[in-house]
Amino acid sequence: MRKTGLLFFPAFDWAISPTHPEREERLLYTRDQLFEEGIMDLPNIVEYRPALCETKDILRAHFCVPNVEAHLTEAHFIAAGSSLVLADAYFNKEVDNAFAIVRPPGHHAMTVTHGNRGFCNINNESIMVEYIRKKYGLKKIAIIDTDVHHGDGTQEMFYNDPDVLFISFHQDGRTLYPGTGFVEELGGPIAYGTNINIPLMPRTTDYGIHYVLEHLIMPILEDFQPELIVNSAGQDNHFTDPLADMAFSAQGYAKLNSILAPDIAVLEGGYSVETALPYVNAGIIMAMAGIDYSNLKEPGFVPGKLTEPPGNKEYLDKIIELQKHNYFTRYEVVSELRKSLGDYKKEYTRVFYDTDYIHEEQKQQLRICPDCLGFKTIGSTAQQRNGKLYTVFCISIPIYACDSCQKLAREAYKDIIKSGHYDMVYLQDKVTDNYHIYDLAKDGELIF
Amino acid sequence: MYLIGIDVGGTFTDGIIMKSGNITASAKNATNNSDISSSILTTLDNLLAYVSDKKLIERVVISTTTVTNLIATKGAEPAALILLPGYGLPNSFYELGENCYFIKGSIDFRGNITEELSVSEIKSVIENIQVQNIKRIGVIGKFSNRNNEHELYIEKLIRETYPEALVLISSQVSNQLNFKRRIATTYYTALTYFEWQNFIEQINKALIARDISAEVHILKADGGTIALEASRNYPCQTIYSGPAASTMGGVALTKDSKNSVVLDIGGTTTDISLVIEGEPLYASKGAIIEDNYTHVEAFSLTTLPIGGDSKIGLLNNEITLDSRQDFAACFGGKYPTITDAFNLLYDLKIGDYQKSEEILRQLAIKENLDPKKLAETAINMVMESLENAIKEMFTRWEMEPLYKVWEVVNSRKFVLHRIIGIGAAANAIIPVLASRLGVNHFLSQYSPVANALGTAVARPTININLHIDTGENFYSVYPTGYLGQIKNSRNFSLEDAKSLARNHLAELVKEHNMEGYEEDAVFYLTEQFNVIRGYSTSGKIFDVGLQVKPGFIPEFTGVK
Ligand SMILES: [Zn+2]
Ligand SMILES: [Zn+2]
Repeated sequence: MRKTGLLFFPAFDWAISPTHPEREERLLYTRDQLFEEGIMDLPNIVEYRPALCETKDILRAHFCVPNVEAHLTEAHFIAAGSSLVLADAYFNKEVDNAFAIVRPPGHHAMTVTHGNRGFCNINNESIMVEYIRKKYGLKKIAIIDTDVHHGDGTQEMFYNDPDVLFISFHQDGRTLYPGTGFVEELGGPIAYGTNINIPLMPRTTDYGIHYVLEHLIMPILEDFQPELIVNSAGQDNHFTDPLADMAFSAQGYAKLNSILAPDIAVLEGGYSVETALPYVNAGIIMAMAGIDYSNLKEPGFVPGKLTEPPGNKEYLDKIIELQKHNYFTRYEVVSELRKSLGDYKKEYTRVFYDTDYIHEEQKQQLRICPDCLGFKTIGSTAQQRNGKLYTVFCISIPIYACDSCQKLAREAYKDIIKSGHYDMVYLQDKVTDNYHIYDLAKDGELIF
Repeated sequence: MYLIGIDVGGTFTDGIIMKSGNITASAKNATNNSDISSSILTTLDNLLAYVSDKKLIERVVISTTTVTNLIATKGAEPAALILLPGYGLPNSFYELGENCYFIKGSIDFRGNITEELSVSEIKSVIENIQVQNIKRIGVIGKFSNRNNEHELYIEKLIRETYPEALVLISSQVSNQLNFKRRIATTYYTALTYFEWQNFIEQINKALIARDISAEVHILKADGGTIALEASRNYPCQTIYSGPAASTMGGVALTKDSKNSVVLDIGGTTTDISLVIEGEPLYASKGAIIEDNYTHVEAFSLTTLPIGGDSKIGLLNNEITLDSRQDFAACFGGKYPTITDAFNLLYDLKIGDYQKSEEILRQLAIKENLDPKKLAETAINMVMESLENAIKEMFTRWEMEPLYKVWEVVNSRKFVLHRIIGIGAAANAIIPVLASRLGVNHFLSQYSPVANALGTAVARPTININLHIDTGENFYSVYPTGYLGQIKNSRNFSLEDAKSLARNHLAELVKEHNMEGYEEDAVFYLTEQFNVIRGYSTSGKIFDVGLQVKPGFIPEFTGVK
């Protein structure tokens, strides 16, 4: 048995709206199940108290437009802060691993945030990863997104970072929100091959998911040798989930976690509040704590009843081969790309916020630096839910940036403010752990 | 009018009489652990000598170790458990005692049956229990607090086929979430059930023989009392009433809303409890019996094996603290103790000061130490243990999990205002400890009998908790196990839920002979959830809890 830290924060007094899937009731039956089992009374389960994170913890990962307070409620600070509580518990060696059963979720939130997309405002895992890198000096981290939806927010945030391996399996984006997560999305030019998507056929069962886990995810992890494995633990692959169409079971989730052996798991989606979540959450805890989960079963599960979609094995074999190739040949591709690119890589993108119905336009620019990951800038324009139009400029210096990137980025911050073209200018300086917000209307700067 | 409080401790049984706010008499006897009732009655008889007219005795409250001792000495007959664990943790996690039977039948959190019982299986289990001549049976089903149909059916079957056996079903012992704790609570209730009935008969007889018609209460682990007759089905609630008596005594002596630590320092051990804004803090996971969490509500308590008579020794040049072996030297004991160390270092003139000095000097000389230095080191060791234990209790309280946004946003740190000292060794130790912690201390001439005082003036407590599910159209009541249906479930509101809880409380209050106290009840839990299926509301779930908290009877307005 292992010592497992548990932070259960059901936010019984918080909802997006009364009938929204992200409502008070979401973890009610999970509470019932966990309490009735007496899981929290076990000697190897340590329950932690939730805590609010600091504004600075959020700014380490995000550009919140116009500021952190604008879109976030206390519940967001607590969900993110709770992941940090567990990170500390893990790194202080109080526990062998940890699971944050918290809401609201975060994996659809991107670097720039104008509002809520996919029920997410801020990205709990990314905030935690940046916190861990700053506080505990880690370099290589793997995030495995096991939610049924593509973790597009987390993908975007680490897309240019080869030190953070992001693997997401999910129901094929052609059949489900957010419509991304295809095999071609492999990472930015210098992080190529460290962003691995595994789109799955609808109705894939335990067999299919465990097959990809064993034959693709585990071999890649074996090679990558991360210092920390994070499970972005959505539970909407379950066969009863109302928002998706997969056929995973509670036992399937438990086995997944016992093979993956994440150091920290953070709850993401999962909206089958009554027939899946209570059992899946219990299963994940049992697997992480090394407790025999063979007696765990959700009432609606009939062994052998769920079958793989036809042709799935052949399909999976193809994906496994392709993505293994993409991962294991990544260094060659990166060195080719470095040669072919100039000093900067520019890109236009659009981001749609389904929950808040916002269309954001971005102009991104990444410095291709021979010595580091290069600093990044994002010009972003969006009309927010309250009707306000913002045009902002964001500059991000990566945590292990070289001196020249740091210098260029800080100069750019001053120049852009002088230019006067933007409502807000942000400098995210992860090297010095300083976060500048410049409001041009007020002609004032805040530094966190 | 007289109030009588009797507190049975491990070593001594204390009693007091109160009359118009004055403690008019007290009594102390050695506890006879093999016959607790006789210790109680001896002390009662001592006190009765000070009573002019027995008819004027209004209330007798007893805090007794009857159940605690029975469990500790493993003196009880065996009990069998029939468990319906359904799906989840492995069955081995729920085993308790020597005779556990796991059977089919499962219920979910909304009270739906997800697996039927097997009658033949149950019958063969009952036969098996009967063959072994086990006469106490507990039946515990997972989520029986949401639907006790299975438990009731099995109870009926046992009554029919094995009528000599005692059957307890968990929904009637402790009807609340946590199967594991329901198992433990039901098990220990079964183990002590008959013995507790005997105790009640003995007390009843003795009171009749003494022509006392006052109401008689038993002190519970939650610092409240319960009428002797009403306690028949809840023997486990009397466990740990000793420390609860001290805590209530400390609060009774101070009666304000400060943050305090109550330290009951006896000869052998020290009990520490926390009082937050005048209210004793509960153990969040209930009383622990033999390493098992239970549903018995109890104060949060830390017990240290350190007391005034802890023996000071020397081992390989190191000063040691060992458990009590005798009285302090200043009271004629054979060994140097913590009390002697205080006596020497602070010149306290406790007992025979010369003997304290003499015995510490003899010990110090062996290792060429200065006796005062030796005393100081030993005292520092005690202080550090106490300080650490107190700080750990604060931290534990501050780390209790929270499940709502407002709770997290409003969570506080524990700021200590004062230490309340109780027990024989408190006078020596408390002032030094308080000054080390930089807070005030409180000692009273009544500190030595504070436990009996706390027992005498504690008021009855009661806690009622309703889980209401309008979607499934049922509600379930803790502690009675009552399962009811809801009228008007479509428009049922939180106000309806609260008034339903008040109605059930009123009934229970009558049963417990504590009419009037329902007016002091407060809601400590009001949760409501919309049950949404397919973007529309299909019902509501409410959890409401109503409680008469620990406090004092109206007659008690403080010690004069
Ligand atoms: Zn999802
Ligand atoms: Zn650089």
